[in-house]
Amino acid sequence: MNGEHIKKIKGVEEMLLDVGTLLMSNGASTGRVRTTVNRIAGALGYEVELLITSRSLMLTVTEENGSDYTSSVRRTPPHAVNFRIVSGISRMSWRVIEDNLSVEQINIEITRLTSLPHYPRLLVLSLVALSGASFCRLFGGGWLEMLVTFMATFVGLFIRQEAIKHRFNPYMAIVFASFAASLISGLSVKMGIGSTSDHALATSVLFLIPGVPLINSLTDLIDGNTLNGIVRGVNGFIIAFAIALGLMFAMQLYGI
Amino acid sequence: MQIEIFTILEKGIWFGFAALGFGVLFNVPQRTLLIIWLMGAAGGLTKLLLMALGTDIVISTFMGATLVGVLSVSAAHNKHAPPLVFSIPSVIPMVPGAFAYRMMLGLIKLSGATFTSEFYSQTLSETVSNGLKTLFILMALAVGVAVPMLVSRKETIKKIRQKQE
Repeated sequence: MNGEHIKKIKGVEEMLLDVGTLLMSNGASTGRVRTTVNRIAGALGYEVELLITSRSLMLTVTEENGSDYTSSVRRTPPHAVNFRIVSGISRMSWRVIEDNLSVEQINIEITRLTSLPHYPRLLVLSLVALSGASFCRLFGGGWLEMLVTFMATFVGLFIRQEAIKHRFNPYMAIVFASFAASLISGLSVKMGIGSTSDHALATSVLFLIPGVPLINSLTDLIDGNTLNGIVRGVNGFIIAFAIALGLMFAMQLYGI
Repeated sequence: MQIEIFTILEKGIWFGFAALGFGVLFNVPQRTLLIIWLMGAAGGLTKLLLMALGTDIVISTFMGATLVGVLSVSAAHNKHAPPLVFSIPSVIPMVPGAFAYRMMLGLIKLSGATFTSEFYSQTLSETVSNGLKTLFILMALAVGVAVPMLVSRKETIKKIRQKQE
């Protein structure tokens, strides 16, 4: 067992830990993390055993035709959904099989993927606000209520982004956002703007719904990753509770 | 009847935009945005059409979500992105926001009411009904989307094995 050899396996292990923790923290299901890491390791000629949890990843890498192995654990960063990274890594894992990418090339691709830009902030705010207005229309609101929901969602998401930027607890950020959005939409209910103004109040907080945790929770549970499914489900439940808390504060304040 | 169809189709547009907003929030790749808009509209329209034909809301939502799940698997092959990139933004417009809101409202009312009053028992049954609808619609959404993804994953693993052999 020479040092050079071990260094090579360590390099593969570091890269696989990067791939696994990036997928997990950006919104992939447990099954996808396992499949992708196995696919990349297999293409490079290694066998890997994984222990995947919501906030840490542990793996053992073994050479396919050797006896050398190495294990390590890494803490997964806080979850923040970014499907561009999930999609990019999934695409890359196929290229590892088809184009025989080397570990160095994979590392370069990971660096490129993590530095890809997000959509411009104003565009995100406007489109999510439009999505809130669409919800309002779907639940039977008129044009005036849609406008109220648009503004409430715009401000609410802005508050959430700022709260996350200032390192508030993520659940607190949701309470703040829900409170801000329902303060604006609640004002229209209080002042009696529009004929069906409580549609605005009900739909102005919908941009916060924990869609990714809840759907991934069910996917994990059906797939047999019961523990991770429960963790995600509890997380989704706390988010839902945080939304309700913010909404409740605003409603009590207006006495609706 | 004609006017009713027009109202339903108009809602399809809004389903699309609601899905698109979540796509951008989750930072999906640009090449998937149009598909997400279309899939959001398709899923939502399926749900509304089934409901207009008298199907129960939970079953209608399940059918809508299943359609999104199946479409997301084929979109994943064409646009080279995992199915969940398409399916999660597309089903979010079907989330039962109004029922969840009414349940919440009911819970707040209940916490302040005397429990022997007529008002209490009426609010309690409304709240339980809204809460159950919320829960079952959410489960229908998640299961509808998850099943096609899990069924298709087995095929993908088969393909890898064939390639390696």
